[in-house]
Amino acid sequence: MTAVLAIGLVLATSLIVGVYGVRAARSTSDFLVASRRVSPTWNAMAIAGEYLSAASILGLAGLLLKNGLGTMWYAVGFTAGYVAVVALVAGPMRRSGAFTVPDFAEYRLGAPRLRKLCGLVVLVIMLLYLVPQFKGAGVVLSLVSGTPYWVGVVLAGLVVSGSIAAGGMRSATYVQAFHYVVKLAFIGGPALFLVVTAGVETRAEALHPEWGTHFPDTTPVEFTVGTRFALDEPVEVTERDGGTLELAEGEHTVPAGTEYVFPEGAAVPEPEGLPELGGRAWSTPLLHVGGYPLFETWSTLLAITAGCMGLPHVIMRFHTSPTARIARRVAVGVIALLGLFYVFPAVYGLLGRVLTPHLVLFQGTDTVAVVLPAQAVPGSVGTVLTALVAAGAFGAFLSTSSGLLLALAGGLSHDLFQGSVPRLRLAVAVGACVAVLLALPAQRIDINVLVVWAFTVAASTFCPLLVLGIWWRRLTLPGAAAGLTVGAVTATGAVGWSILLPTPGGWGSVLLAQPAAWTIPLAFATMMTVSWLTRPPDWAEHAVLRLHSP
Amino acid sequence: MRQVHALGVDLQDGLHGRGVPAAARRLRQLLGADCAILADLDGPVASHGPSPSSDEVESLLAQVFEYGASARTRLPDGGAVCAVPLNVADEIAGALVASGRPAEADVEAAASLVSDCLDHAALRRTRDRIAAADLRTLRAQISPHFVHNALAVIAALVRTDPDRARQLLSDFADYLRYGFAERGDYATVADELEATQTYLELQRARFQDRLDITVRMAPEVLPVAIPFLVVQPIVENAIRHGLERKEGAGHISVSGFGEGPLCVIEIEDDGIGMHPDLARSLLAGTGPESRSVGLANVDQRLRTVYGPEYGLVIETALGEGTKVTVRVPRFTRGVVAQ
Repeated sequence: MTAVLAIGLVLATSLIVGVYGVRAARSTSDFLVASRRVSPTWNAMAIAGEYLSAASILGLAGLLLKNGLGTMWYAVGFTAGYVAVVALVAGPMRRSGAFTVPDFAEYRLGAPRLRKLCGLVVLVIMLLYLVPQFKGAGVVLSLVSGTPYWVGVVLAGLVVSGSIAAGGMRSATYVQAFHYVVKLAFIGGPALFLVVTAGVETRAEALHPEWGTHFPDTTPVEFTVGTRFALDEPVEVTERDGGTLELAEGEHTVPAGTEYVFPEGAAVPEPEGLPELGGRAWSTPLLHVGGYPLFETWSTLLAITAGCMGLPHVIMRFHTSPTARIARRVAVGVIALLGLFYVFPAVYGLLGRVLTPHLVLFQGTDTVAVVLPAQAVPGSVGTVLTALVAAGAFGAFLSTSSGLLLALAGGLSHDLFQGSVPRLRLAVAVGACVAVLLALPAQRIDINVLVVWAFTVAASTFCPLLVLGIWWRRLTLPGAAAGLTVGAVTATGAVGWSILLPTPGGWGSVLLAQPAAWTIPLAFATMMTVSWLTRPPDWAEHAVLRLHSP
Repeated sequence: MRQVHALGVDLQDGLHGRGVPAAARRLRQLLGADCAILADLDGPVASHGPSPSSDEVESLLAQVFEYGASARTRLPDGGAVCAVPLNVADEIAGALVASGRPAEADVEAAASLVSDCLDHAALRRTRDRIAAADLRTLRAQISPHFVHNALAVIAALVRTDPDRARQLLSDFADYLRYGFAERGDYATVADELEATQTYLELQRARFQDRLDITVRMAPEVLPVAIPFLVVQPIVENAIRHGLERKEGAGHISVSGFGEGPLCVIEIEDDGIGMHPDLARSLLAGTGPESRSVGLANVDQRLRTVYGPEYGLVIETALGEGTKVTVRVPRFTRGVVAQ
């Protein structure tokens, strides 16, 4: 209940900031104050606030618990993406005056049809990115209020589209900056508190993993989804009706809805296909998912770093900076703010490994940040901490989804169908509906898998378009269109296949699940080859010059 | 027919456009000639096929340009070269030269086709120039209006409050620099706000603080480029026709925010308002002469730049105040603040 209250408070405050938080001036001399631009610090906080999503908080902590230390590469990638943005995109993008990537495509290559194609890609990326946000919100809401997952997702959809309709994003810069503060305080505060109260032993255990993991307490485990796991030694568990059940050594299949209480000290069963908790694969700093850790790590890092550049809602924020130089300074500020924040998901993941290892059993690792405080600190303090983290996670969801949904709606109403304002509202509603419908069956899929999917598509489409568009005069319209199509189809198709269909196994599986290493070069190559074969537009020289002249 | 149509497309940028070599090739095919040459007044610009010696062509062109009529000559190998003038707006702009065995009548027909295409190209360029000139005229229309008001206010203050008058005069100078500067047709929202501020400062002097002002601006929209002098005329209209005739204090609010890909600026006053029919006729440019300058002008410029769906929206009723909304895309190709 406390958590629901905290979430409501965050929501109400952000609405107020969104509608009334614009600088109000009451006399003419204040007119100048109102027309002064927003400072780089505020702007950087706004960008970081919009960028730090449920994926960064819930997904990263959960994946760290489940897949091991290598997961921290995600955080490195999320932050390093901005280095690429500073170096390659931020300044020229600001000089072009373009607000979105489709705007940039029109500026550089001047074709309405390419604008439509870009709008379509925006749609794909934004939906792929929205689904994990709604999943995260659904999980958090259902955890703190006890409602089923689908109620949480639908509620989240209503809240976001409702807050946009009420004008909650009118002063997006201030809302998003406010959300950065909320996230830092509500996620970082409890994390520090937990580190301090966890005690020396727990801290040591978290940092020096040992083989296998045992339940620290008598732990009830509710399997919300059906799971297969293996036991090394027989365990006697208590069922919901009070009777005891002897689980023999070997593999077990548990249907959804089962609840077992594991005794203190029992070994945590290993679900299929995951690195052993605290084992070697868990503690080496590489991603272990498909058996080729080095390749997977590189491919994921490439996808996230290059993808950050192509995320439509990231590019938009640089439009707020008055000059290209300040746009770059803002991006540097973002790197610092992100670096600071990403310490905390790691804390939840590492402590969660010691205190809530059972989450891996029913693929509930995405909830670790919310579940952990109550487990670590019993009583009312734990409840308050849970409420704070839940509110922070919900704020993360709200800020990112609002930005994404607006970008998606803008793409729908402005790029795909030339429209005016009523259509923008309609597009927000449609976008939210589709995202909710897609999020409903996504409960089993890890948040970060979906997020990396979105990043991979962005990296294979808009990253080449922006990089070549800004730095290469020879880029042509057919080249850009061909590269975008090839990148979008291969990246979306490969990851989609690996999630939804059976994969061939071995290298095939890895190439499908982590396709960035081949789809990005492929998109670049296609764009360049087709461009070589066709003529660049007459104004290419002039358009590129304006991107780079101070 | 397709060839003829394609010829029109090739020549859409005139005799110096990209498509001229393609046009020469197409003309050679159409005429069944050995060689087709397109020339402007300085000599050949494109040719296709084995060309006759350049002396031959030069002398033929000189003949055409001198007499303004077709000329023809025989080649040693028995073929013929025929040159026909291309007339654009009743002046010679170039010539079409064909060698081989095409009938002279065919070449003349082709030349008149090419002339028509070039004429269209010239007309198209003129149309663009007229649109730009219209925009400049509209812009210039606003200023005298305001200059008169401002100077009247300052004149009234010169004796009673010389310090304020001096301050206002320097504000006015700033405003003029903004308004008359040789710059592009677009400014940022922030610049527009500053110009509006100087304007309001001048108006407050007249109203003797009966004027209350609120400004809310989301920082996202400050760098957006919008057509020059869009906000100030609307504010001016609100004061002149909404607040001036109102008893007691008046309030005017200017707010700007982003709405997805759009930038929205609302100017609201609590003045006497107007009849919705009057508002409609103002936008249509058919209102009373004294009021038809400001709003209709802004509306027309917005439509010219962004397209018909981005005109002004006026919400008003008698005695209920007026709210004018400007809604423009944050980015439009070609709209760049200087």
